[in-house]
Amino acid sequence: MASYESSFLKVSLGRKVFIVINSIILLLVCLTVIVPLILVIVTSVSPDEIVARQGYVLIPASITFANYLSIFNSGYMPAFYNSLFVTICATVVSMIMTLIMGYALAQKDLLGKTFFVRFVVATMVLDAGIIPFYLVVRQLGLIDSYLSLIIPAAISTYNLILVKNYIASIPESLIESARLDGCSEMGTLIRIVIPVSIPIIAAVTLFYAVHHWNTYFQVVMFINDSSKYTLQVLLRQLIFQSESAVSSHSALNNFKMAVMIMTMLPVLILYPFIQRYFISGIMLGSVKG
Amino acid sequence: MNANVTQISEQNVQVVKKPGELRSKFNRQKAVLLLLVPGLIWYLIFKYAPMMGVLAAFTDYGTRADISFIGIENFQQLFSSPGFWGAFRNTLLISFYNLVFYFPLPIILALLMNEIFRVRLKRLIQFVVYIPHFFSWVVIGAIFSMMLSPSEGFVNQLIMALGGESIYFMVDPKWFRSILVASYMWRDVGYGTIIYIATISTIDVQLYDAATVDGAGYWGKLWYVTLPSIKGTIATVLLLTVARILLVFEQVLVMYVPPVYSVSEVLTTYSFTEGLLNGNIGYATAISLFTAVISTILVIGCNKASKKFLDESIL
Repeated sequence: MASYESSFLKVSLGRKVFIVINSIILLLVCLTVIVPLILVIVTSVSPDEIVARQGYVLIPASITFANYLSIFNSGYMPAFYNSLFVTICATVVSMIMTLIMGYALAQKDLLGKTFFVRFVVATMVLDAGIIPFYLVVRQLGLIDSYLSLIIPAAISTYNLILVKNYIASIPESLIESARLDGCSEMGTLIRIVIPVSIPIIAAVTLFYAVHHWNTYFQVVMFINDSSKYTLQVLLRQLIFQSESAVSSHSALNNFKMAVMIMTMLPVLILYPFIQRYFISGIMLGSVKG
Repeated sequence: MNANVTQISEQNVQVVKKPGELRSKFNRQKAVLLLLVPGLIWYLIFKYAPMMGVLAAFTDYGTRADISFIGIENFQQLFSSPGFWGAFRNTLLISFYNLVFYFPLPIILALLMNEIFRVRLKRLIQFVVYIPHFFSWVVIGAIFSMMLSPSEGFVNQLIMALGGESIYFMVDPKWFRSILVASYMWRDVGYGTIIYIATISTIDVQLYDAATVDGAGYWGKLWYVTLPSIKGTIATVLLLTVARILLVFEQVLVMYVPPVYSVSEVLTTYSFTEGLLNGNIGYATAISLFTAVISTILVIGCNKASKKFLDESIL
């Protein structure tokens, strides 16, 4: 039986032309992603005099890390730590909430399972809007506290469903035998379920970490104290506003790009892992609807 | 919580014959049900309580010290406000452009990527095109502002090298909506392909062989095998897109500056400004409620349309 791939070997000229053009189109799409990133990286390590003349630099003439050193002594560093602190705390809280709830929802004959699943999934379509959400957070007294960035964003329904579906695909005998051995529910979750769910846990942890790191409007909305601002807010001020909480002078592009690299740093570092896990994560989680 | 309990027992009436069995099941599952509680409370507080909060749309919350019920006054004010109609128009235009220009792209890109047979090239392309999805809107905005900067930006230098005149993209009302659509495309086009590529990879190769036997060429296979197979996925993605279409928010909030407010103030940013900066909570909630109602109508309409034209109902 000739498969779709093997029929590729005896292709017509028109087909060959198509394959070449197709590759070129896709590589051009890739270039639209890569060129801006190279511009950011190279400009961030270029010395002042080149940047003052050229604006942005694509091909490095000489390299300096002076901009990164000046960031260390600037107001951007505390913001970087703020971002890091919020991201780590929020990701831990998210994972605990998601795993516990995902495990409970994954039980096959759970009492009222259909109702609970609908209760959760309905919130993916129904959205009350920003102001009612703000009022709830204010009512809880979370304004100007980092808890406002951690608790209200603790669960992503999408991630919860991925985790629930993965855990539901674990052979029931494994969980039952743990229960027969006298494991409590928490014990079963920690000792049996988590060790066999590492792929989905890795994927979802990365999703949450990136999401919390990238949070912007919640910070603008809930945090008024500028010393608590995260890096995203300061980068927005640096690029789009003439005055910011930490620098009033107009900075050169190389400094701006260095701040931008800092803001992208966790994503850039984690990306190879994200890339590896997120496709498989989506596949694993969606085995069963 | 009372409602939950009735719902649970209703569902189990058909399955469980004796009420004693239901109770023993509850006793057996007590520990698991306890694990559900924190999550359920979280959903009640942060997802369902705000839905109750839309009642503020019928009050003068924010404008006076004591809150009183004012009926549909906020909506009357809303519908007679030029700011609201401007925001509504901008939301519809930006959503419409996104739907027309962005929506088909991931499908096309997925089909093109599916035609690459060199595994390493395919992996490289996939590795690169997903990157922007993981950047924040602030970073995306900063990258666009850099690329489009009037004198130093890559794009304008290209335009000037070709003899054109530099364009102030980020502050030009004529261009700003296109910039919003373009940045949306840049961020999500690669990511959008994943689901289509996944669906295409599940198509049975025998279908293609059968089509070959029947004399179908390349386009025939595309039209009669590939497209029908991803029809359901297209309908689902369309519905999810439509559900969020009026909620475009963070992207605009990050990228817009005063000169382009007139073309880019959308319903969500209008509500945000009115509620948080001007303190008109009741009025801002009325905007949110209006948005939610229109969204729901759009979702239902979209589901009806997909049922009619694609024989697929998602809801």
